[in-house]
Amino acid sequence: MTAIAISGLTKTFGRTTALDGLDLTVQKGEVHGFLGPNGSGKTTTIRILLGLLRADAGQVRLLDGDPWADAVALHRRLAYVPGDVILWPGITGGDVIDLLGRLRGGLDRRRRDELLERFDLDPSKKARAYSKGNRQKVALVAALASDAELLLLDEPTSGLDPLMESEFQRCVRQVKQEGRTVLLSSHILAEVEALCDRVSIIRLGRTVESGTLSELRHLTRTSISVETSRPVTGLDGLPGVHDAVVEDHHARFDVDTQGLEPVMRQLATLGVRSITSTPPTLEEMFLRHYGEES
Amino acid sequence: MTGTGTLLAFNLRRDRVALPLWIGGAGLLFLVQSTQSQNLYGTPEELAALRATLGGNTAVIAMSGPVELLDSIGGEIVFEIFAFAAIVVALMNMFLVGRHTRGDEETGRAELIRSARVGRRSPVYAALALAALADLAVGAGVFAVAAGTGLPVGGSLLVAAALAGVGLVFAALTAVAAQVFEHGRGVYGAVGLGIGAAYMLRAAGDAGNPALSWASPIGWGQRTFPYGQERWWPVLLLLGTALALTGIALLALDRRDFGAGLVRSRPGRPRASWALGSPAGLAWRLHRGAVIGWVIGVGMLGAAYGSLGDSIEQYIAENPEVAEFLPGGAADVVDSYLALTVTMGALLAAAFGVAAALRARAEETAGRAEPLLATAVSRTAWLGSHLGVALLGSALVLIAAGFGEGLAYGLTVGEPGQAIRMTGVALAYLPAVWAVVAVAALGLGWWARAAAVAGWVALGYCVVVELFADSFNLPEWAQQASPFVHAPEAPLESVTAAPLIALGVVAAALVAAGLAGFRRRDVGY
Ligand SMILES: Nc1ncnc2c1ncn2[C@@H]1O[C@H](COP(=O)(O)OP(=O)(O)OP(=O)(O)O)[C@@H](O)[C@H]1O
Ligand SMILES: [Mg+2]
Repeated sequence: MTAIAISGLTKTFGRTTALDGLDLTVQKGEVHGFLGPNGSGKTTTIRILLGLLRADAGQVRLLDGDPWADAVALHRRLAYVPGDVILWPGITGGDVIDLLGRLRGGLDRRRRDELLERFDLDPSKKARAYSKGNRQKVALVAALASDAELLLLDEPTSGLDPLMESEFQRCVRQVKQEGRTVLLSSHILAEVEALCDRVSIIRLGRTVESGTLSELRHLTRTSISVETSRPVTGLDGLPGVHDAVVEDHHARFDVDTQGLEPVMRQLATLGVRSITSTPPTLEEMFLRHYGEES
Repeated sequence: MTGTGTLLAFNLRRDRVALPLWIGGAGLLFLVQSTQSQNLYGTPEELAALRATLGGNTAVIAMSGPVELLDSIGGEIVFEIFAFAAIVVALMNMFLVGRHTRGDEETGRAELIRSARVGRRSPVYAALALAALADLAVGAGVFAVAAGTGLPVGGSLLVAAALAGVGLVFAALTAVAAQVFEHGRGVYGAVGLGIGAAYMLRAAGDAGNPALSWASPIGWGQRTFPYGQERWWPVLLLLGTALALTGIALLALDRRDFGAGLVRSRPGRPRASWALGSPAGLAWRLHRGAVIGWVIGVGMLGAAYGSLGDSIEQYIAENPEVAEFLPGGAADVVDSYLALTVTMGALLAAAFGVAAALRARAEETAGRAEPLLATAVSRTAWLGSHLGVALLGSALVLIAAGFGEGLAYGLTVGEPGQAIRMTGVALAYLPAVWAVVAVAALGLGWWARAAAVAGWVALGYCVVVELFADSFNLPEWAQQASPFVHAPEAPLESVTAAPLIALGVVAAALVAAGLAGFRRRDVGY
């Protein structure tokens, strides 16, 4: 039951390698976070999924079809929000929403009006007259008003205010409840944490990590600060311990998840008086993944 | 003024490819015309003979310029080439100024610029300075070519100054239009109409009432009479007009918001009309304004040409000996005039078609194809909708040209039926028009980045073959490459089906190939 299955995907633009053996699996019914630093290839991947770009190498399956060959048939079943919403001069937001809905094969009038209300969007303005956030809302309403089984969202909330952001999150949860699938590319980690079942992190066109957030947490280090009754010894030799600062009865260090057990055993022999352990924040986690050398 | 210098340098850099092409193109026109004319009419006798035959030929005068120019060989060259060179230079100025003013403002690029230490008027100054430099370069090139091919220095200087002056007027006119219209398309549409009107007014003036020529900057340029009377004051008139228009542009600029035009856009419908539910519906919405503008503009041009047809008949009536030399007599003279002018209309219809087809590429690079192709719209349907409007729209423009010409001609000679006849005549050129548009379609499918070049070069080639085949002394095989050469010269020649069908098949094949190419390439790249 996979909605998206990509393996070994490669795409080059002239001399730039945008995707370099990317893997991505999205199960049906899940909200999947798609993360990576700027220029890492998220938009390129989504464009390939839409059949706008042709893959150079690798397998890509979308809703059990070939995104290039079966583009039109597949597009009836998906909705897309681009990261950069560019509207047509002289054409109103309402026009665009209706047009995109009809081109996808019909849209639900009631849902459209309800979404306009929820996102507080005036559909009678023309392209230029919208602010950036409101342009984004036009594309969001057009996509959310459909009953597509897959939503491809490329930084859909860039430019939305916090009120609208929470409205967006409510909408995505609703979509998930209805059993539909969402691929969400985003730089807003709070949003990813709030919405996503699983995330994939890519860097330089390659997948570096994929799994649930707690699985990813497992892959990173926990910060530990400990006070012991005997002077602290024997930590340095243990595997998975990093950046240890030892002062007599005091120690601060980071430890890999796999290294926790031996560390705890060693600490126990020293007589623990107090201990605090801090799981990595999402930010720390991503900063490590985004910044690490490959 | 702050920052104008930096912006000018930046503008020069951005146009480093296009500028030499425009400037070289204008110089080349003069080079070819000058060598060719001096070959053909080098002796005073040949020139006198030419003056005698052209003197009353309204068709040629309407196409070219006032007969007073024909007093010297230099003047003959100006007569033949000045109006067309002026159109090329005017277009250059329109694109230069439009791109660096409203174009940048519409896309938001100017916002970044204006947020720096840059005065409000600086982008306009920088754009006009760029245009002025380009006009100077055109002038220098034309002077070098004219004087270099042996024409007197004084007249060469005057014709160069007149051409540059015409350019400056249209640069300043574009600056005004850039304040009025919110979108680049509106600016180009208005200035394009202005250029067409300037050409037509001088045509009507040179062939009929000279007062009309004085309403046209191109007319002023021609009426400097280089190599003849050599009047410099119309050049001052051109410069003065350019300055006045610049002043108007600056006044308007100071009175409007950034990004806005003088005409405010009003809210529209909150729900899409039923018509906006298909790629074709959207394409029609996007192209509608241009189609209507071109139909009206070219229709009026046709009417202007048609209204002159009568004076050709009168000329033949007064000079029956001229008609005797022609195989078909007086009727042939009129018909060859009608054929020539309808061909002009057909070239314009092809220009509309190429522009409309290339709009697809503009939509694509702007990122507006992506959301549509992400719905259940096939690539064929998307590109096909733009090509469909381009093909059908060019047919409408062509019909307007024929109908307008036939109506005006029919009214002046008292045969209203001419409107229908000339509409049919014009349609004989439709397959040729479509063949040109189809070249742009082919480019869109296979060489997206070069599609604009492919389309405009194809059209430019046809224009050169149709209007300058003799002056340029083009060999037969080179002329054969233009589809218009294969279209019957209606109404002079009778229309046969074979060439029309052949051209239609070529056009259909090119369009099909373009669509096939578009199905295989990356979109937006
Ligand atoms: N049309 C193109 N031509 C050339 N290079 C391109 C093109 N499109 C993308 N690239 C390159 O491909 C790489 C991936 O770009 P992409 O837009 O997919 O990144 P992204 O992950 O979406 O970044 P962001 O977070 O900034 O949106 C970049 O190095 C980019 O410069
Ligand atoms: Mg992106």
